[in-house]
Amino acid sequence: MRGQVPRKTILSFIGPAVLGLAIVGIAPLLYAIWTSLHFYNLTQLRRVEFIGLQNYWDVLTDDAFWQAMSRTFFLLGTALPLQIALGLGIALVLHQPGLTILKTLARLSLVLPMATTYAVVGLLGQVMFNQKFGVVNQLMGGADINWIGDPQNAFMMIIFWDVWQWTPFVALVLLAGLTMVPGEIEEAARLETKSKWTVLRYVQLPFLLPGLVAVLILRTADTLKLFDMVFTLTRGGPGASTEFISLLIQRVGFRAFDQGLASAQAIILLIVTIVLAQIYIRVFYKEV
Amino acid sequence: MRKLRNLYGTAALASIIATGAVADGHGWSLKAAAEPYAGTTVDVVFLLRPGYEAIEAMLPAFEEETGINVNIIKHPYENALGEQVRDFVAGGDLDIALIDLVWMGNFAENEWVLPLADVQAKFPDTVDPDLDIDDFFPLVLNAFGGWNDTIYGLPVDNYSGLMFYNRCILEEAGFDGPPETWMQLKDEYGPALTKDGKYAFALQSKRNETQSADSFARVLWPFGGSFLDENFRSNLNSEESQAGLQFRQDLMQYMPDGIVAYDHAETVNAFAQGDVAMITEWSAFYSSVVSPETSKVADCVEIAPEPTGPAGRKPALGGFSMAVASQADEAEQAAAYLFIQWATSKANAREYLERGGVPARQSVYQQDGLEEFKFVPALVESWQDGVPEFRPRFAEWPEITEIVQEWGTKMMLGEVTTEEGATEIGTRMEEVLEAAGYYSGDKPLAQ
Amino acid sequence: MTSTRSLWSQIALLAIIIAICVFPFYWMVTTSLKTQVVALEAPPVWLFEPTLNNYREALFEDGVLRTLMNSLIIAVCTTLLALILGVPAAFALARFEFRGKKDLWFWFITNRMVSPIVLALPFFLIARNLGLLDKHITLILIYLTFNLPIVIWIVTDQFRGIPYDLDEAARLEGASQFTIMRKICLPLAMPGVAVSAIFSFIFSWNELMFGLVLTRSEAKTAPAMAVSFMEGYNLPYGKIMATSTLIVIPVLIFALIASKQLVRGLTMGAVK
Repeated sequence: MRGQVPRKTILSFIGPAVLGLAIVGIAPLLYAIWTSLHFYNLTQLRRVEFIGLQNYWDVLTDDAFWQAMSRTFFLLGTALPLQIALGLGIALVLHQPGLTILKTLARLSLVLPMATTYAVVGLLGQVMFNQKFGVVNQLMGGADINWIGDPQNAFMMIIFWDVWQWTPFVALVLLAGLTMVPGEIEEAARLETKSKWTVLRYVQLPFLLPGLVAVLILRTADTLKLFDMVFTLTRGGPGASTEFISLLIQRVGFRAFDQGLASAQAIILLIVTIVLAQIYIRVFYKEV
Repeated sequence: MRKLRNLYGTAALASIIATGAVADGHGWSLKAAAEPYAGTTVDVVFLLRPGYEAIEAMLPAFEEETGINVNIIKHPYENALGEQVRDFVAGGDLDIALIDLVWMGNFAENEWVLPLADVQAKFPDTVDPDLDIDDFFPLVLNAFGGWNDTIYGLPVDNYSGLMFYNRCILEEAGFDGPPETWMQLKDEYGPALTKDGKYAFALQSKRNETQSADSFARVLWPFGGSFLDENFRSNLNSEESQAGLQFRQDLMQYMPDGIVAYDHAETVNAFAQGDVAMITEWSAFYSSVVSPETSKVADCVEIAPEPTGPAGRKPALGGFSMAVASQADEAEQAAAYLFIQWATSKANAREYLERGGVPARQSVYQQDGLEEFKFVPALVESWQDGVPEFRPRFAEWPEITEIVQEWGTKMMLGEVTTEEGATEIGTRMEEVLEAAGYYSGDKPLAQ
Repeated sequence: MTSTRSLWSQIALLAIIIAICVFPFYWMVTTSLKTQVVALEAPPVWLFEPTLNNYREALFEDGVLRTLMNSLIIAVCTTLLALILGVPAAFALARFEFRGKKDLWFWFITNRMVSPIVLALPFFLIARNLGLLDKHITLILIYLTFNLPIVIWIVTDQFRGIPYDLDEAARLEGASQFTIMRKICLPLAMPGVAVSAIFSFIFSWNELMFGLVLTRSEAKTAPAMAVSFMEGYNLPYGKIMATSTLIVIPVLIFALIASKQLVRGLTMGAVK
């Protein structure tokens, strides 16, 4: 049996990382819990007082919080299926033989959106989706669509950029899955049936599943974290139509300066994240 | 005799030309006053607006004269409060606070800034005998720089809401002047000027301070409404407030689509591009709509006071003062005071004006040769009697403005009616005031 | 499949994919070369006389250069720190058996999922109390919350792929675990280490929220700077795009270098 090492050795290997992450990851959390139990407004620091679970109660009974939550999951529910559908399509195109140079080029260009600074995506959105001098309206044949100022359009714009940035990711993950399918099995299947769907469903899908699970986990986590792109593009507006959960917390904590309430929101968000991550990982990531 | 008069004349002239730096009759000079503080660096937040660019352009003269370095940290307005609050609670580097009139309560109550008199008492040698504090428009000085009868800051970047209108478009439609009342604007100018993709009016309403200050408050006051009644309870459901808010809904048909996403930049730009015939904007944006570099309609721009409502003319009032930060060390405080005094001085007001700023000095507007600044008459008129509490100036404003911004925008988008929105704002606003202790008598009903 | 029609439709599809991916960058770069007047032209113009003015102003007058330097310093330091802490931990996770390993593993992963806003609030208050606001070290440390999980995940994966008999042989010769890691496993795991370093760099370089909240001027990062151009009274679109271009170029280069492993990095090694 491998790995029977003295405790001290294990500790010396793993201790520094644990300690480092504890300092930057856990200490702030404890502080946030403390803050969330207090009235703690940055502009009224003299009035800091213990108020028990009042902040939590306020958050849980606040429509704005639940609206931001459901908006966040609505975004996930609309963008993710699009990303998976388009990503699968792209992966299948790239998986076909031939046209090697063009495909390499396509694969390289797929890399670009994923790496782009999220804040820059939002800035780009401002320029490209401007109603008057934006190139998007021009490309749509001189349309006069008000993207940033209309609640529905603004939401669609956010979906667009999320899909633009993350479809390549899904595509490359699925492509990686497709290349894992042993060539002879795929060939044999193709000889038996003409239906591409059957091949996909019964031969390729099993190899795609781990990738799809990873996509599901990461996109969920990233959507709950979504801040930069929306902050630079719409700041949550117009109205509250693109105010996702991380933007709401930022606004309460750093614009209304109510750090107590914002900490309570953050803790609740953390609990949601951990529960989701637990479910996903326990259910799908058995091999870990 | 003649010699003496000459001497006085020269001294006065010199103090005007040489930015108040040369000795006047009292033997005070900026150079001498600043000597102990040469080499000190003063940190201050500036906005990305014309008034600040004007000071920045004038700054080398000050730095050379005094040896004081002014380190300017630029922020867009929307970040300026957050940045400063974070700096002050952290005991950071800022030596000067740049205070919007609605932030004053906050900064003063937290003692982040020092009363002007305390600074002057602490550093008597820095006080310019020509300071002439009574020369500031009293309304402006008290509203922008004062809190509870104490003056903290000197007004530096000063606004009144003005009506900017495009004379060419109005004339073409047969109007020989701007609307006198808000009702006229809606009923006569609105239908006549909204056509062919052009709009009669734009009211900047983005969900930030613009929504609460420029949009919400602007329709409240002229119709006799207000945020609070004398008991500090919400007055937003009163007939007058509702009339104002409903008016805004009705007026939206003559504004560009997506007006709830318009900030100052979009509004000024729409006007400058000739897409919108009239806007009500801050005086500070004058220089950018009359500059041919940024405006296609520079030749057509005219300025009038804001229209009147049933309750009279209640133009928007806004602006900034600079005050000395309590967290600065002694040398920085003295240097900061010298800078503030210099930037807002009588002697520099003219240059500041010519470079695109809007000084709050009464004397400068009495000078000759101001014809090119078309906003001056309307501005001076507005500052005679404005509403200092246009937006309530108490320390809780940052929380309340967030509420107004959220529900004010929802009203405009038609997601809630004006009554529903007003009720929501009222309830939440009262919760904040309750928690702050206004109703239990812990805090006086200051206003 | 072999018919010309399907070949052409394939080419068309690929061309569309490439165009959609690349077009925003094309637009960003061209806008950055426009003067303000040209940038505000409606409808937008595609041909114009380019100017480098926006870059000059952004870099030298508005201090973007310094924020780029800050971003560079912070990203490099935090990456090195994450490697120093993360590689041994990854080795332990891959090679040793101990109680609570799964929980520890799970805890490392969860950190990658936590919204930065959860940590930004308390970290701001703590940094304030310790006088650490607007310091490089603050961001270097807090970026560990997402860098360390990435490094640990990818490198653990890499170590697992190295045959165990190699270190077994070394151990029989009396080598310590540390020596085994350094002399035998690390050289073989280098590809994974390099990938995780590139990722750590990209994520740190791209980060906005901590940069906004925890810095003011001295340690201000480039993305935070780009955002601060917004909402002026006269939005300088050309300059904003010039700054954006300067921010994006390094990460795109890195991403292209690591393009083969990018998916692996983003999924933290879950997909090979």
